[in-house]
Amino acid sequence: MDIKESVISILASNKPDVLARIAGTFSGRGFNIDSITANITRDPRITKILITTHGDQDTIIKIEKQLNRLVDIHQVTDLTSLGLPLREMMLIRMPMTGENQDKIMEIVDRYRGEVIETGAGYGVLELAGNKEDMDNAFAALEQLGIDDFARTGSITL
Amino acid sequence: MDTIGADIVLQILQEEGVEAIFGYPGASSLPLHDRLKDSPIRHYLTRHEQAAAHAADGYARATGKVGVCLSTSGPGATNLVTGIATAFMDSSPVVALTCQVNTSLMGRDSFQETDIVGITLPITKHSYQVNNVNNLASVLRRAFQLARSGRPGPLLVDMPRDILASRCEKADPPEETPSSAAEKVPSNLDQLGKIARALNMSERPVIIMGGGVKLSNACDLMRALIEKGGIPFTTTMMGVGSIASGNGYDLGFIGTHGNELANSTVHQSDFILAVGMRFSDRSTSLIDEFAPLATIAQIDIDPTSIGKNVKVALPYVGDIRETISALLNLVESRDRSAWLQRIQQEREAKDFCLPFKGCGKAGHLISMIQEAMPKETIAVSDVGLNQIWTLRTWKARTPRGLITSGGMGTMGFSVPAAIGAKIGMPDKSVVAICGDGGFYMNIQELATLSYYKIPVKIVVLNNRHLGMIRQIQDLFYEGRFNTIELGNHVDLVAVAKGFGVPAERISVDENPEAALAALARAEGPHLLEVVVDENDYVFPIIPPGQANTAMIHGVGD
Repeated sequence: MDIKESVISILASNKPDVLARIAGTFSGRGFNIDSITANITRDPRITKILITTHGDQDTIIKIEKQLNRLVDIHQVTDLTSLGLPLREMMLIRMPMTGENQDKIMEIVDRYRGEVIETGAGYGVLELAGNKEDMDNAFAALEQLGIDDFARTGSITL
Repeated sequence: MDTIGADIVLQILQEEGVEAIFGYPGASSLPLHDRLKDSPIRHYLTRHEQAAAHAADGYARATGKVGVCLSTSGPGATNLVTGIATAFMDSSPVVALTCQVNTSLMGRDSFQETDIVGITLPITKHSYQVNNVNNLASVLRRAFQLARSGRPGPLLVDMPRDILASRCEKADPPEETPSSAAEKVPSNLDQLGKIARALNMSERPVIIMGGGVKLSNACDLMRALIEKGGIPFTTTMMGVGSIASGNGYDLGFIGTHGNELANSTVHQSDFILAVGMRFSDRSTSLIDEFAPLATIAQIDIDPTSIGKNVKVALPYVGDIRETISALLNLVESRDRSAWLQRIQQEREAKDFCLPFKGCGKAGHLISMIQEAMPKETIAVSDVGLNQIWTLRTWKARTPRGLITSGGMGTMGFSVPAAIGAKIGMPDKSVVAICGDGGFYMNIQELATLSYYKIPVKIVVLNNRHLGMIRQIQDLFYEGRFNTIELGNHVDLVAVAKGFGVPAERISVDENPEAALAALARAEGPHLLEVVVDENDYVFPIIPPGQANTAMIHGVGD
């Protein structure tokens, strides 16, 4: 079976147990969720959840059907085939000293990021872009010593 | 008395036509059990919550109405779990009402607190925890509606004690809802036309019916379709009894323990019309070798059932009754005498070498039980050899006349489910047929039977072993018998009598007529223990991991 990345967009009721039901639909089939983001829509009763996952198309289709069966889920859309731009964001805290600052700024500029906080010998960077760019930026910065970081999951429209 | 949450619960139950519920009280359920006293709804106190869930399930399967069980929080709620899962696997409409600790105590590991909504997430169609008494009525109405609509299934409503005890206004009458989805006519007539064309063109078609046909009350239409098209049919275990046997097209049921004729016919077929079934592993055995020549068309109301296990060329999502009624006009009668003759020859050859359908003396006894009991008796099987013996030999005359735990295969199901069936269908006789293993699992329900004088008849086929597992150890584990002996040290007749249930014991070798007459005649509950040889198995069967065509026979078959 051909394993590939899938992006699933879900509109669901904004209730405490909805996420557990969605997660259970994936875990019940031994599927891992690669990333998940959620935001409340203009209608505060509805939340939009974007999930990226890996799997063969057959199983992804089965999961979509199972998700559609959940009472609190109103719409499931597979965005994979639409080839939409996927974006994610990273926050990275790392030492910023005289010697590596130029190198860091070069990477930040290359990926159109910015330094959003500086302190005694460290800085916090914010970068956003597609997954490949973020992976590359991360790898480059890792060479210079990352203290800690956070990455959002992929989002798209 | 002020109106409180508990009154709302009872008001909605009445509104939904519930006459009887099965339950067990506890600290958290007290507000509700207190108000039950003045309600016309009858509450049957089972001796274990698991039995309450199975009874609600049996009630639902026998009547087609929603069955209701009720428990307190914590262990009361967790004891329902097996019963809920059983209902879920067989799409039985059940509403499980669980009570919860006070809202203020939730999340603190309070006494008898458990996250029952979390525990039952994967085995309910949907579940609710009510956190505002003013939502109680709408949540309960929705729960009943969900339980019975689409593909039916169990709903769970968890109600904290303080919500049940909160003062509130009586619930407003339900709003008139516009026509439901079930009343819609099939929309995709194109696809239905394709299915009809493929069926009409096929040389060797076969129909497979699952439990969905009964759930959709479409048995009469399926019969019409079969007779109009001249198409042989088989069923899954859940579909047994959809059409009373004997119209010449019946092949028996498919699968691991099914009829050889059904398995071989499906294997040779060039077209399968699957209706209300999901091609579970018990039906298909080795999936890669299932029906290699057939184009498969599948009709189901639940899109997740379509293509779940096999590749389907012609899927159709819709209510079975509506769909078949439309399909009926498109299907043509066609001469398929070569196909039918081939089946008939195979049928005669197989019947000839398989007395009592491979069910031995016990199978013969079960057919004698049916003869002794009134015509429309409902049989409830347990799980194990007794289940296969019953399903193969009991001739179900009505779609809801044979009840079994198919998907979940829950031992201990038969006696409590028979209680539910009898409460739901008081005018019909109900007989539970079980083995000794399953009987032990809910043996405490004998006390429920005798207390309420519920005239359920029980036949325990006692081979002093876990027979089906023994058969598998015998055939596929080189006869290394292990952990399957239950022993013959228990006097079941004395046990039953101790519970207040009249009982009798015979051997399967004896003439059972007098004992069966007593069983049929008894005005209250009655138990008949039948001693069966532990070497009486079911044949033919399919070895684990093999194809439907790999059925093996026993010695002498």
